[in-house]
Amino acid sequence: MATSSSGAVAAQATPSYLPLALIDKCIGSKIWIIMKGDKELVGTLRGFDDFVNMVLDDVTEYTFTSEGKQTTQLDSILLNGNNITMLVPGGQPPEE
Amino acid sequence: MSKREGQKTIFEFNRYLNKRVRVKFNGGREVTGILKGHDQVCNLVLDDTEEYRRDPDDPFKLLNETRQLGLVVARGTAVMLVSPVEGMEEISNPFVNVAES
Repeated sequence: MATSSSGAVAAQATPSYLPLALIDKCIGSKIWIIMKGDKELVGTLRGFDDFVNMVLDDVTEYTFTSEGKQTTQLDSILLNGNNITMLVPGGQPPEE
Repeated sequence: MSKREGQKTIFEFNRYLNKRVRVKFNGGREVTGILKGHDQVCNLVLDDTEEYRRDPDDPFKLLNETRQLGLVVARGTAVMLVSPVEGMEEISNPFVNVAES
């Protein structure tokens, strides 16, 4: 997983945060994923790979349409990383 | 600020570290946030992030509303545009005027 490679870079004198190291720290905790379209997911992060494909547990999927918000509950998923735009550690569910 | 040896990204993110930047994404989302980190493939760490809401009926139109996202990681594969907020200014569409006159 991303730990070994990004962890080694972080050990050098980089003044800033590394994005994937931050995601790696989220493994085991809640994360809020914002997709390219009108979908957002909140779930517990189990792991991810170099493409940031993700395995998530206890997922709530939110779809925003002009009619309102739809939610879907999912036990365990493999999420393709291709359509992810943002990852929010600790992710609170979207409020509207 | 020390430059990392080896590969260099074409955009000097280090210049904008701890400054507010505007990021547009593939798919039309738009946020501003304080740049806290980045990597070689344009993944970004943004703090105090706000997303601009879009008109649900016309996703190309940005509303003035924002929502707070806090600390986020933006995926490099989805990042389309990064620019510093400081010094940005919106101008009226010059092409519309040309068509009218």
